Amino acid sequence: MAEFTNEILIDAPADEVWAVVSAAERQAEWFPGMVSSTVEDGIRTIGTVAGGFLLEKILSVDHEQMRFDYTITGPLQFDHHLGSLHIESEGNASRVSYTQELRPEALTYALRAATGDALSALKDLLESGIYSRGFQAVPGEES
Amino acid sequence: MGRKILFVTTDQQRYDALGCNGGVVARTPVADTLAADGVRYERAHPQNVVCMPSRATMLTGQHIRNHGVWMNGVPLPADAPTVAGLLHDSGYRTGLFGKAHFEPFLDPFLRFPENRMGVSGATQDETGPHRGFERMEFAGHGAAGFVHYVSWLRDNHPEQMAGYFPVLDMTLEVNSEGGGDTGAPQVKHNPVPRGIYHTDWVADRAISWLDGLDSAENWFCWLSFPDPHHPWNPPASELHRVPWRDLNLPAGYPTDPSERERLLDSKPAHWRRWYDGDLVSNYEAPARWVPATLTPEQVLEVNAMVHIQNELVDEALGRVLSAVSDKGWDNDLDVIYTTDHGEFQGDFGLLFKGPYHVDSLMRLPLIWRPAPSTTGQPAVVTTPVGLMDLAPTFCDIAGLEVPDWMDGIPLPRSEIDASNHGRAGVITEWDSLHPNGTEVHLQSIVADQMLCTRYEAGTCHDGTEGELYDLAEDPLQRVNLWDDPAAGPRKVELLEALEDTIPDRPTHPLPAEAAV
Repeated sequence: MAEFTNEILIDAPADEVWAVVSAAERQAEWFPGMVSSTVEDGIRTIGTVAGGFLLEKILSVDHEQMRFDYTITGPLQFDHHLGSLHIESEGNASRVSYTQELRPEALTYALRAATGDALSALKDLLESGIYSRGFQAVPGEES
Repeated sequence: MGRKILFVTTDQQRYDALGCNGGVVARTPVADTLAADGVRYERAHPQNVVCMPSRATMLTGQHIRNHGVWMNGVPLPADAPTVAGLLHDSGYRTGLFGKAHFEPFLDPFLRFPENRMGVSGATQDETGPHRGFERMEFAGHGAAGFVHYVSWLRDNHPEQMAGYFPVLDMTLEVNSEGGGDTGAPQVKHNPVPRGIYHTDWVADRAISWLDGLDSAENWFCWLSFPDPHHPWNPPASELHRVPWRDLNLPAGYPTDPSERERLLDSKPAHWRRWYDGDLVSNYEAPARWVPATLTPEQVLEVNAMVHIQNELVDEALGRVLSAVSDKGWDNDLDVIYTTDHGEFQGDFGLLFKGPYHVDSLMRLPLIWRPAPSTTGQPAVVTTPVGLMDLAPTFCDIAGLEVPDWMDGIPLPRSEIDASNHGRAGVITEWDSLHPNGTEVHLQSIVADQMLCTRYEAGTCHDGTEGELYDLAEDPLQRVNLWDDPAAGPRKVELLEALEDTIPDRPTHPLPAEAAV
């Protein structure tokens, strides 16, 4: 089994980061190469830019620990896969840890590289203020 | 009339695949004629025995440690200098048709331009020519992957896609399943019509591009056939060419299992461990396939498939050369034919490739048919040359100064020319780090009919192991002289030459971004 962890420090409060990460249907907003993410009955369906898809079973969303666990269930047939996102406060910033375990290991390096890109995009999203503005704009639109 | 350069590569083709190199099964009259009219190299070695590092060397003219692509899955840096870029900047029209693989194939989120181009159908990347090529149309090893051929097949002949053997399984490991008549791994009877098999598609795309060029233009065309790399699934209509039951087992296949095991045991431990299914050291062979299960019948069927694929490549090359000739360009056409690395094809009871530095994987076909308008006589060169010499040769043909960043030197046109090069030997190196933690490092030098390989400490080796073969006396590399006291002085000389020749490792190695 292979295991890797990507980490990034984001200059944003942990609850703001967690609000994005824990919204399973929003992953395509910050994961390059994903074009859609929908959730139904605990299964997230990811559409990829290559025209393919991934099925992911959401295992747990722990708001207290700020930890999101899922496993890829198809169409790739892993013997074992576990993806875990974890947010920790570091002062006014947040450390995001994204760990994946997989067996067989063929996709290890590709997932590690893509996950690194995703955390960078998440940082850009949260630090650029695009998300905050969007979040704040929603009530205004509703009103 | 301008200079025209046709660079022809196959993938995973052995030296003995061609008739001009002593092959007695596949009929390769086109390559054989190029050799008869040009220079045939009897000892051409890659700088690495898998695709991405070797192709990066072809494109840059650099040692592995200088371009940085140290194993499959490591992308060539986007800003790497290339011979195609040099030629393009000098006014050459530049195109690549077939397999590129300068960037990883296993790219589900399309992080790399090659894969984005393959999916979108674009023939340049988002900024213009990619790596110096003004037009690129890609093909891979079948009906999967982010290449133009697959998009074309899906759009035009979707019913044929399932006929190809899936080179990867549903876990994205190299598929260990087998088929054909013998159940050999990666073999399948493919009903695809010959005219739409990727070999002919590659030739068609190149011909189409050449048709649009003006006679006065200089051009550099990389005609890059994906075959005879596995999967071994040529069009079923062509199987009659080489009935596997009529073949003889290859000389490199020891028929007696105890003899096979004795030969493997005389080499560093990873040879036997892989054979026994005790080790997965690299991605390039099916992880779930155990070489010890390979039967003589499977060796024969794999070889038959490869011979058929080699014949189809030769005929497709003939069509491209005819198209060039029809335009009246042949007199100014340089043709260079080679491959990126070899294939075991049954040698030592093995298939595929990996950290094994023997002729099966390292001795490559290489032919240069200089433009008939230039001076020169047909020749055979026995002095070792490397694939890093190709890019400098293209510069030389184009009248460009070979840049300092290239490590190679223009190919010799004769044995006398070769003797003036003064090179100590040709280097091949291997580094791998499998996600399962297995780490292997070896480096080889070939010089003066000797092949010497040293091992560094990794997870399979303690760094004291080695291999030394007398290529003249032992053409199948069955007698490892590494611990033979009589060979000691020669071993020391070769190791010193290796140390003097090989560049330092980069301080910060590039990260692997995929398995392949």
